[in-house]
Amino acid sequence: MNGKLVESVKKALELIDKKNLAGDVFGVKERNISYSIKKGELSESSEYEDLGLGIRIIKDGKIGFGYCTPGKEEKGVRRAEELSNISQKLDLGLPEEEDIPEPEIFDEKVEDSSLEGEGAEFTQQVIDGAKDLKDDIIPTRGSLSISVGSKVIGNTHGVFLKQRNTAVSTGVLATIPGDETSINAGESRFSRRMDLDFADIGKTAAEKVDSLREKSELPKGEIPIVMNPDAFGMLMWFGIVPAINGENIRKGKSVYEGRKGEKVASEELLMKDDPTMDWGIGSSPFDDEGVPSRTVSIIEDGILARFIYDLKEAIKSNTESTGNGMRGGFKNPPDISDRNIVLRGEGKKKDELLPDQGILVDGVMGAHTLNPASGDFSVVGTPAWLVENGEIKGKVEGAMISGNLPEVLESIELADDYKKSHASIGSRDIKMDLPSARFNDVTVSGK
Amino acid sequence: MSLKDIIDYVKGQGATYCDIRKERWETTNLTLKDGEMEKVTSGNEEGAMVRVLYNNGWGNIGTSDLSSLKNAAERAISMAKNSNEYKKEKTGMADVETHEEEVEMPMEENFLDVSTEEKVSFLKDLEKKLEKDFVRSTELRYIDRLVDKEIATSDGTQVNMKIPRIVTYLIITGKSDTIQRASEGIGGTGGYELTDRAYEKKDVVLDRLETLLEAETPPSGKMSLIMDPHLTGVFSHEAFGHAAESDLVSTGNSCLEGKIGKKVASDIVTIKDDPTMDGYGSFPFDDEGTKARNRTLVKDGILNDFILDRENAWKLDMEANGGARAEDFRVKPLVRMSNTIMEPGDMEFDELVEEVDKGVYAKSSGGGQVNTGEGTFQFNAQEAYLIEDGEIIKPLRDVSFNGFTLQTLQNITGITKEMDTGIGHCGKGQTAAVTDGGGNVLISEVTVGGRE
Repeated sequence: MNGKLVESVKKALELIDKKNLAGDVFGVKERNISYSIKKGELSESSEYEDLGLGIRIIKDGKIGFGYCTPGKEEKGVRRAEELSNISQKLDLGLPEEEDIPEPEIFDEKVEDSSLEGEGAEFTQQVIDGAKDLKDDIIPTRGSLSISVGSKVIGNTHGVFLKQRNTAVSTGVLATIPGDETSINAGESRFSRRMDLDFADIGKTAAEKVDSLREKSELPKGEIPIVMNPDAFGMLMWFGIVPAINGENIRKGKSVYEGRKGEKVASEELLMKDDPTMDWGIGSSPFDDEGVPSRTVSIIEDGILARFIYDLKEAIKSNTESTGNGMRGGFKNPPDISDRNIVLRGEGKKKDELLPDQGILVDGVMGAHTLNPASGDFSVVGTPAWLVENGEIKGKVEGAMISGNLPEVLESIELADDYKKSHASIGSRDIKMDLPSARFNDVTVSGK
Repeated sequence: MSLKDIIDYVKGQGATYCDIRKERWETTNLTLKDGEMEKVTSGNEEGAMVRVLYNNGWGNIGTSDLSSLKNAAERAISMAKNSNEYKKEKTGMADVETHEEEVEMPMEENFLDVSTEEKVSFLKDLEKKLEKDFVRSTELRYIDRLVDKEIATSDGTQVNMKIPRIVTYLIITGKSDTIQRASEGIGGTGGYELTDRAYEKKDVVLDRLETLLEAETPPSGKMSLIMDPHLTGVFSHEAFGHAAESDLVSTGNSCLEGKIGKKVASDIVTIKDDPTMDGYGSFPFDDEGTKARNRTLVKDGILNDFILDRENAWKLDMEANGGARAEDFRVKPLVRMSNTIMEPGDMEFDELVEEVDKGVYAKSSGGGQVNTGEGTFQFNAQEAYLIEDGEIIKPLRDVSFNGFTLQTLQNITGITKEMDTGIGHCGKGQTAAVTDGGGNVLISEVTVGGRE
């Protein structure tokens, strides 16, 4: 554990105590090493170390927030206290000491490889995996990153919790150059431990792009679509995750407002937020407010059961925190966030989901343009393939897929090819554990 | 040790090139949601990035520990040497003029001198002006950031600059048979005086939300599209601008590769990216210390330039033009846009509408995405109207459109004299403040996605 970080959090807490105020201090340390792939080669190695404290002070029922780096605790505490004067009044109760779960999220092998610079070799395996399939396929872009992080949270009610975590993630874009434009397809994977098959990641990207050489005509109208996990995860994150957020429910900004206990999805569908799973993509023993992690069943057997809350929203909504107060780094105060959303269904084989006529979609363009309040979407499926009589044919271009995600869930079918899907779009970090899915209620248009 | 001393040390170790970028950030971030100050934060941080090129391999170290920059430099050297073991393709840095300068971008009213209380009052005042019976929820965000940067390179550049940026977001939500939201971001490079512009946008979001609550779902299929200036800007940025980023061009990820001097758009299209104009994405020097200048990317339909950092300029045998930007000291600079503008044309808005038999008039961006290699794009408009037989008929909601970049640029048949700009945050693994804009633009054919 990082001594400097722990000492700094303790020091800030003592300063708050001395002022007879309540509050919490959140410390983060992250070391990240990344390797870039450009035009079929490893081109550079980068590393950063991030270290900082987020300080939250409650004074006369008002909350102020400041941040600083270790060594500047006095300034950070003073700033948070000053800002509390102009903040909202809210009787925020900080968590007390409780038992916490201990999911596995730290792998020594990952830490060792980050220290020994093995990432360059792993990156080379990704590159070779992509290059080895066909001569004209080039991994034109990609990266591999290894990170080791620590989080510390302490509050003036005696809670003092620490955790360490590791992660390995890699993504590569395989390209077949062309005269006018090229063809490309990517593959990305994420794990908290050293268990990724790097060569297979490159190979999978190459195989995908290789399968895009032949074109098929795009079928249009109301046809079934099978979404691979990454594409499905993107849409779920932008279309459903905002709808289960307790604040959006209270303010009437969710399609699920007032619908608890109703059937909102196919009977077999289970959606839970479970940060207690070993090696879960978003697992950890506690949230960024020091609330012990727990499993939150959101949709059970197709019935809407529960929403997610942080400490602040729990008070406003007159309920309990579900351990969903996350910070996105030390510079931000806690806010409601999903942790480790897991989707399970009846678990059919993916082949069984392929329709007589429809399309298979590996990625979507524009998931972030989805209307978060209504769940209405209109995205381009790319890469995407024609499916005829359950068989995958050539690629289809410009497939514009429109629908409403809450409506799609009502007749969705899920496969059993579970993936820990991780994607970044803009500044948003999307993590979900889910399989491929068949959408039965969407419209496809295009050229 | 000064930055120069560390650079001299790195050069002494046989490095081909080295630069150090030291930054100090001062930030205030406020969110007012439905009458309550949800977020009141403030803080400062500092750190530096050391980049080392050793033959063909790079090593980059970002650290918040300024007391150990020499250690960071040593580690960067060792990582660069390691990268070089794997890197066969030759690389280099294009020559640029070196500069020794200090630049402070002006603030008429320094936001560091404005109390947080006053900033909160501004948001509360703005919120009052958004009170309407059809508005269910209001969210206002205010962010100001001052960065003080020092950049030194092994070529002898030593620049210090202060860049202040300020932004306000207005987001309102309402409900009819569906829940709709309208948002606008207003800001720029400058001081607290820029908050005045936020008031100009309150009617825009109110009108938009009221319209959306009455709007119908759009038709789908191929049709004409008129983009308002903000959407034109986002189109110029997303569909075209990203493909003109030299790091994508030099690695086989752009549909514009090899097309300099060739026709890529209709004759009436001129697109520039200019960090020296007044905008949210402005800067005096880029994050490699190269002096900022305007880049005319497309001139009268002909591809004229790319956005170039020094390494990709070297690879493409072109001139570096100040295209390197990093989000902060933790990360290396990437090739990024700044203020991207499609130059206005000679038409009136009514003339554009008259030319449309069936189409959509789309306003303000709801976001977009692009595949630069394949040359395809997807966009979403916040607000839209159906056009039939040269007349605007009725409002539409959730309108998306997509197409092929090169084809679509050729399909531009009209641009208005009237122009405007908007601000945005561009994501490419890192976030960058940008402005984009242009005239109202008529595209004769794109694919509109809808459920009808």
